[in-house]
Amino acid sequence: MPRFVVESDVCIIGSGISAAMVAERLAGERNAAIVVVEAGEETDRPAARPALRRRYLEYGESPWTRDHLEGYEVPGIQSRSMQVGGLAMHWGGVTPRFSPEDFKVRSLYGVGTDWPISYDDLDPWYQEAEERIGVAGAQGPPDLDPRGRPFPQAALPLTYNLKLLQEWAAKAGIPMWSQPSAKNSAPYRGRPACCRNDTCFPVCPIGAKYSPDFTWDALRKAGRVRLIPRTVVRRLHADGPSGRITRATALDRASGQEVEFRAKTFVVAGGYVWSSHLLLCSAGGRYPTGLANGSGLVGRYLTGHRNVNGYVSLPLQLFPGMNEQHSLVTKKFMRVPRGDRYLRHDLRIWESSVGREPRLADQTGRLLLGDDLLADWRRRAATGAARVRAYYDVIPDRDSALTLGPRKTAWGDPLPQLDFRDAPESASLREGSEAAIRALFREMARAGGGELLSARSDPFQDHPAGGCRMGSDPSTSVTDAWGRTHDHENLFVAGAPTSVTGGCANGTLTFCALSLRTAAEIGKEFPKR
Amino acid sequence: MKPTRRRFLLGAAALLPLPFVARRFHGLAVRALDPALLRAMAAAILPGELGTDGLERATTEFERWLTGYREGAEVLHGYGSGEIHYAGPSPALKWSSQLAELDAAARKIHGAPFANRSRPERQELVRAALGGVSAGGLPQVDRAPHIALGLLAHFYSSTVAQDLCYDARIGNGTCRPLADSPKRPLPLKQPG
Repeated sequence: MPRFVVESDVCIIGSGISAAMVAERLAGERNAAIVVVEAGEETDRPAARPALRRRYLEYGESPWTRDHLEGYEVPGIQSRSMQVGGLAMHWGGVTPRFSPEDFKVRSLYGVGTDWPISYDDLDPWYQEAEERIGVAGAQGPPDLDPRGRPFPQAALPLTYNLKLLQEWAAKAGIPMWSQPSAKNSAPYRGRPACCRNDTCFPVCPIGAKYSPDFTWDALRKAGRVRLIPRTVVRRLHADGPSGRITRATALDRASGQEVEFRAKTFVVAGGYVWSSHLLLCSAGGRYPTGLANGSGLVGRYLTGHRNVNGYVSLPLQLFPGMNEQHSLVTKKFMRVPRGDRYLRHDLRIWESSVGREPRLADQTGRLLLGDDLLADWRRRAATGAARVRAYYDVIPDRDSALTLGPRKTAWGDPLPQLDFRDAPESASLREGSEAAIRALFREMARAGGGELLSARSDPFQDHPAGGCRMGSDPSTSVTDAWGRTHDHENLFVAGAPTSVTGGCANGTLTFCALSLRTAAEIGKEFPKR
Repeated sequence: MKPTRRRFLLGAAALLPLPFVARRFHGLAVRALDPALLRAMAAAILPGELGTDGLERATTEFERWLTGYREGAEVLHGYGSGEIHYAGPSPALKWSSQLAELDAAARKIHGAPFANRSRPERQELVRAALGGVSAGGLPQVDRAPHIALGLLAHFYSSTVAQDLCYDARIGNGTCRPLADSPKRPLPLKQPG
């Protein structure tokens, strides 16, 4: 079958939130023909989302049944994300920045690796990301929450419940404020204000929460990008002497036709799994271990953070369901390690109904029916509960890695396998870190006259990233501080894979900020609009 | 539909788990659910303060839910996992039989239809039917092992039930003005 050729100035592989940031910035300021290639399907139109949400609420059905490809099951992958818009089609929209300390843990604390950029370097890019996706946030105490300019939108207001919980945290000596979120507190860029439908994850029915499809819709409508879905890029090809990437070969899943993408610049924006995977799958010739892999670190230093999640009963009358997915946050514990061991973490508080749900039997085991069940529920709901969670920093190990495994895709490419590992210094601290966080939860409960009901940790590292970490030294990193691969001058990696560490908070805003920096660097090659 | 014919079809459905057969029999089983019996059970096990209209709404919503159930639909992959799961078998077949069994038990014990018994007697019949069910939290609606638990789980996961419990207009899961969120929710019945 003849090969179909698509030519452009910039070829972006992947269509998630990082790709959207790169494309939007480039399209807005440069004259460059941009092609975006997505392996997955088109996403459902916004108009379909109220009905999809209804099915989710009533039956637990997935609103995103087209977010994965058959045969791409990878144990350990955190969530399915192959569709136009990627994982951020069903993210929670929580957008904290990393703390200044996250970027220099080696210099400050003697652990891990410093990033090649500082918080101050990233501050304007954070701001730009917040403006593009529309972050609503409150300025925390400036010493804990430094920022160059105000948030683009006023914070989501604290609910009646969160105001009571904020007072409780204050009694424990913890300043807390409204969690920054990519959810509109007022109409913004053509999208409406949040009306507390409270299904941010998995689907906002009205588009008050940012998702990348809004960016793609606008760019496609304006004719600024060409987005090609259902096309799996299988391999990048480098020119021997120069190392420049000349083409990407792909498969149109619908027709089975081979497609070749030619461009001046290639951007790999496939997230923490598929970016490294593509580079490793592109091995051959002068690059027997994969492209951009002179350091041998492609796929390595996968990073994230662990958490301790707890529930606290409190002598407060709360009304669960006022805006359950919005939380309070503090950065108090990110700044300085507590005690004499390395431990940095964030802290969040949500309203909760845990332990106050309706139940079928009372404490004697008597089955409750009719009025008895409701009366029992009312008695138990007379006081409130809070959910508390701390994400704590994990130093990634070199062998925390994505490698190519023995299983193959339908077209014969090896599937990745993931193995997250804490570096020895983090592994040795894990038990103590989690015990210290549980102790904090107990202190907080006591301060409010309550009780810690439970506390446990998820078995996985949350908000995964890494695999193509950035750095100044080509022997210890895959890309430079702009996401340009050390080995190929026209090959960039955008967003999550370039992260050096996972910090102590959701990474998406940081990935967006990094992607915008990458776009600015790529843009230098093209004339201004 | 005659009971013997219904029993035959339900038995046949149980023997043929093919998805298309299941869909056909799901519809059949939903239609086989006796509306009067369902309402008699609802009046016994749901809170009386719902009143006649509230009970009717809760029951109608439950029937609508059951009608709309899609066996084999992809369910949301949980946070932190990429595994795909699918909705289980329709509970309608089992539930319609259980409802009929409540009536049969009433006739056997009391010599009268379930719907004609007093509320405490109907509750006792439901208790007896739930004898083998481990009582704890309410189950996920579609996994309820008995229709009575399915109805309870459906009602108590509703916005109406939560507002009733808290006597407050929380409106969980509904579109509500953001500006109202800092205020304490208003009581269900405003004074005056």
